Amino acid sequence: MLFAPELLLLIGSLVLFGVCLGRGNGQLAKNITLALAVASTVLCLVTLQSKGNMFFDAYRVDLFSQIFKLSISLGLIAVLIFSSELKGVTDRMRPEYYLFMLLSTLGLVMMVSSVEILTLFVALELSSYSLYLMVPMRDDHTGLRIQMEAAIKYIVFGVIATGTMLYGISFIYGLTGTTYFIELVPKLHVLAASPTAMLAIALFMCGLFYKLGVFPFHFWVPDVYQGASNATTSFIATVPKLGAVAILIRITTLVAPDAGASVVNLLMVLAVCSMFYGNLSALVQTDIKRMLGFSGIAHAGFVLLGLLTLKETGFATSIYYILGYLFMNLACFLVICKVSENGENVKVEDLSGLYKRAPLLALTLLVGMMALAGIPPFVGFMGKFMLLTAALNDGHLALVILAALNTAIAIYYYLSVVRVAFCSDPEDRPNVKVDMMTQVVSISLIAVIIYMGVVPKQILEIASTAVRSIL
Amino acid sequence: MNPSLFSPEGLAGLIFLILIAVTMFGAVVATCSKRLIRSVTGLAICFVGVAGLYYFLNSPFVAMMQLLIYVGAVCVTLAFAIMLAEPNEAKVARKITGLSGGLAALCGGAMAYALGYAAVHGEWMAAATKINDGSVKTIGVNLLTQYSMVFELVSIVLLVAIIGSLVLARQGRDEE
Repeated sequence: MLFAPELLLLIGSLVLFGVCLGRGNGQLAKNITLALAVASTVLCLVTLQSKGNMFFDAYRVDLFSQIFKLSISLGLIAVLIFSSELKGVTDRMRPEYYLFMLLSTLGLVMMVSSVEILTLFVALELSSYSLYLMVPMRDDHTGLRIQMEAAIKYIVFGVIATGTMLYGISFIYGLTGTTYFIELVPKLHVLAASPTAMLAIALFMCGLFYKLGVFPFHFWVPDVYQGASNATTSFIATVPKLGAVAILIRITTLVAPDAGASVVNLLMVLAVCSMFYGNLSALVQTDIKRMLGFSGIAHAGFVLLGLLTLKETGFATSIYYILGYLFMNLACFLVICKVSENGENVKVEDLSGLYKRAPLLALTLLVGMMALAGIPPFVGFMGKFMLLTAALNDGHLALVILAALNTAIAIYYYLSVVRVAFCSDPEDRPNVKVDMMTQVVSISLIAVIIYMGVVPKQILEIASTAVRSIL
Repeated sequence: MNPSLFSPEGLAGLIFLILIAVTMFGAVVATCSKRLIRSVTGLAICFVGVAGLYYFLNSPFVAMMQLLIYVGAVCVTLAFAIMLAEPNEAKVARKITGLSGGLAALCGGAMAYALGYAAVHGEWMAAATKINDGSVKTIGVNLLTQYSMVFELVSIVLLVAIIGSLVLARQGRDEE
């Protein structure tokens, strides 16, 4: 029973593989994937409170892993529903596209439960490979082959980040002689003052920094967001970030809370650089996906604020923030996927008069953007507020000031998108059709964003309990 | 105290240095040569050096696999790819100068310093107490017990790689 969600996804991917053979039916593949995503969400809910170790202790199911699995499955459901027409991918590749999406989810789901570094690494690679393949599957109606450029950048940077991470892992193994987190934590806490241990942990983190798009590993972000089809970007921009944060939290627990000054400084520098780089670059973007890419870099910086406290509350706030980020970002990408007529990229001016063309989408965009900007009462505000409080309590005043400054910069570009959607004339742009299912998703996303922002306590408590279970 | 060159330790040290030299030489050839096919040859030399290091560290099986897979399969595949693709050799890589060159040197230097510092000042675990005999049998048993999860996961990763390359190379299935 503990392994039920993963087992379901595994069997499901076998079924999908069967669909891929022969002529292949994109619609059928989509329905199967959606059914699997829903079933896996239900199974995650059922197993939310269960605990246990499997596979010679390499795999651990606890509240921490199940929360992430649940949100990963929820993210998959949302992406599948609002990109159901899959405008940017040709019919010839659709079954495989869904297969890769499902396997990528499987990789992430297994990654958050892995407590042994080799398992973690292979699960991470499973999810990355599938993503690498989804990027060039966009059909090429511009003739510019931007999706190929994006895919090459994605894979080359990915390979380098993976190599760096493996190098760090080899240092960790050399220092401790084990790959199990449960044995690593005490051994590395003893070695806390050793520069080698800190270097090893920093290198280990690089692979996840890449996934999250943190500053010196961000180069792929804008190009991949722009070059991949809207559905692919929606997936890449939301679901894998959850896995990255989960593993970053696990790695950060390797640092002894009282002696990790060098790792804390590193995280601080990266957080500040990510925030400034992301926000300042986002100011001048006209392509919305590219803009959201830069905004994603800035948000990755914010998540690091919670990690660098090295405390339970900080970790819990990071979990809360990344969950909120999942929903805010999904809301924005829902609008992009729907507004794009034939799967082309959406420019900011394409949103003109959205409030007349599709009122619900305009409202979703408003909520999503305001939440990303950090305006109350949405989840983005609460998340940023609590991250800043956590960092301030830990004595990082300068960092908090810089982060607050960034929030102010960010408001400008988020709200200028909203302004275009609400205050300009639609001219001759057509109305946007929104199907029933997407409307449901849209309304639930708005509800969740507001709910998490107004009553954060419950979710924070769950997150704290989850963090305590891995400390 | 330095062991004499002809004592067992001295000879082992000499062999170790030779293997390191082969690896480094291969790596330099791989990165610095202008012709792609020479880079591949350099890579093969580098892999042979690494295989030697594995053998030196008492893991004959891993050394064999390194030779078989990396030298035998990967490098040959690369050579085939280069011959089939016929890259334009005349196009010489642009020389990196000025700011980017300086930055690259700075970053590389900082990295080298950090690693060197860590290597010199780090407290390493007591040198390898042999966990098992490193035989094929032990590896097999371990793969199917302690590392069974990884073993199964790798098969899915390979499946993804195979399907992915087919899909991308053939642009999906034929139009109906």
